[in-house]
Amino acid sequence: MELNEGMAGTGSHKTASERDEVAALESLQFTDEIRRLMSAPATDNASSFTALLELPAPQAVQLIHSPESAKLIAAPAPSPNVDDFKGSFHFPFNSELIERATRFSVFTGDGNINDNNKTNSPEPTSYNSSASLQKPVKSEPTETESSQPLVSGPTVENRSIKRKDREKVKGSTKKSKTKAKESSDDADKLPYVHVRARRGQATDSHSLAERARREKINARMKLLQELVPGCSKISGTALVLDEIINHVQSLQRQVEFLSMRLAAVNPGIDFNLDSVFTADSGSLMDSNFSGIVMPTMWPEVQLNGNRQQYPQQLHFDALQQPAWGKEEVCNNYITPENSLLSYDSGNSASLQSNQLKMEL
Amino acid sequence: MPLSSLKPKMRPHSSLKQEFLKKWIMGLQRCSFSKKNMSILERKKAIKFSADIAMASARNGTTCWSRSLISNASKEGSDIHVVEQILGSESDRPAVENKVPTRRASVCKKIVKRSCRIRRRRRRRKCVASAPSSIAKHLVRKRREVLKSLIPGGEFMNEICLIEETLDYITSLRVQVDVMRSLASASVRASE
Repeated sequence: MELNEGMAGTGSHKTASERDEVAALESLQFTDEIRRLMSAPATDNASSFTALLELPAPQAVQLIHSPESAKLIAAPAPSPNVDDFKGSFHFPFNSELIERATRFSVFTGDGNINDNNKTNSPEPTSYNSSASLQKPVKSEPTETESSQPLVSGPTVENRSIKRKDREKVKGSTKKSKTKAKESSDDADKLPYVHVRARRGQATDSHSLAERARREKINARMKLLQELVPGCSKISGTALVLDEIINHVQSLQRQVEFLSMRLAAVNPGIDFNLDSVFTADSGSLMDSNFSGIVMPTMWPEVQLNGNRQQYPQQLHFDALQQPAWGKEEVCNNYITPENSLLSYDSGNSASLQSNQLKMEL
Repeated sequence: MPLSSLKPKMRPHSSLKQEFLKKWIMGLQRCSFSKKNMSILERKKAIKFSADIAMASARNGTTCWSRSLISNASKEGSDIHVVEQILGSESDRPAVENKVPTRRASVCKKIVKRSCRIRRRRRRRKCVASAPSSIAKHLVRKRREVLKSLIPGGEFMNEICLIEETLDYITSLRVQVDVMRSLASASVRASE
């Protein structure tokens, strides 16, 4: 499971002191998973690090909208949209996981500085750099934006490890080797957003702001990739944008086509509005539509009684190509079964029924 | 634009569909009352128009594209009664508020066009950079422009806003397509 992979990364970096912290967290939901990962063999440092960061996109998306991550920040609860959104993804525990991991990382930040018994030197720096990404952040104007460093940090970190030369910051690149310890000290004191300066990246405010902005954009792009089908496999912004553009264009064209198709139907369609306004949300979409739509070509007669008479005539129409109410554009779009519905705009029902009979 | 205002659902929520349907039917009724003899193209335009306005008003002015759609629609005097009909049921009237920003919008448009022209001139003088990162940036920038042209009111958005608006726009387009499709199939079924 992807969750296990993510946790495997954290598992490999744990020291003895950290295991005490884990024991303290045993009252949580995923104690079993944590224990499993504790006993899991330690993988390679870099790969497990990336495994930690390779949160699958649903989880990343979940993080953006999770109400639990908002608890980290002193911010009001998000709108009820989140509940719908959560339901569609079936990963309700991930946000808590990240929250615990965040709190956990705060402990391990100090633990690693104090005890250097069992950890190698590259390990704590690499792990701390990921941990400090998940420090509690200050509440920005929007609470979701502040959770961006949580999400986009890991995801962007992942990419930076895969392609090191990809991110080129404007301005000078200063190398700061002790930033691991500095940030962990500063994190607890200052109530600011912590956008982590990676190794070999500039640390001035402009590039940091630039990077924060870029991470926001990347997070939203991930959301878009989730939404548009077939986009999650594509890598590269240009191709993803291509897909998105195609999708939007196809949706717009579908709207055009459907509106043309509906226009071809009898314009005097009388909507049974009472049923529309009083129907429940579930029943509305499924079968009530046929109840809603009542063509007015049978207004004087009972609908049920008349249906038996007319369908035969209408079937006749479907076989031949009715010549009325057609324009060249329609001929391309309208299928034969819809062609029987295309009438001239008739004001009265009698006129329409006369037309029907005449055509026959 | 806060992300909490977006609804990135895999399946559009039925309440959104219902709301859209209500407003669309209201708009259609208004259309059909005014014009009795319409060609099929006019009918299609009216249907699409009222559908778009209904979709935009379902957002209650929270998103940029919906506001620009409504403001564009309310500029034309002929169809403004349809817009008012659909929007009239709401307590707040984003159409009224949008009349003020339209002037700003037109000014913004001019500024944007001017800057685009200047940028194009500068680009022609510059030789094309051969670094792969700049080529990639160029490609991405081109696609962003295309996306801006697709989404209503997209020219005024920065990148972050554009992507959020795209998200919202795609979900609402999907709702629109779903409702229209089911209505079309229902009308076929009803006449059988």
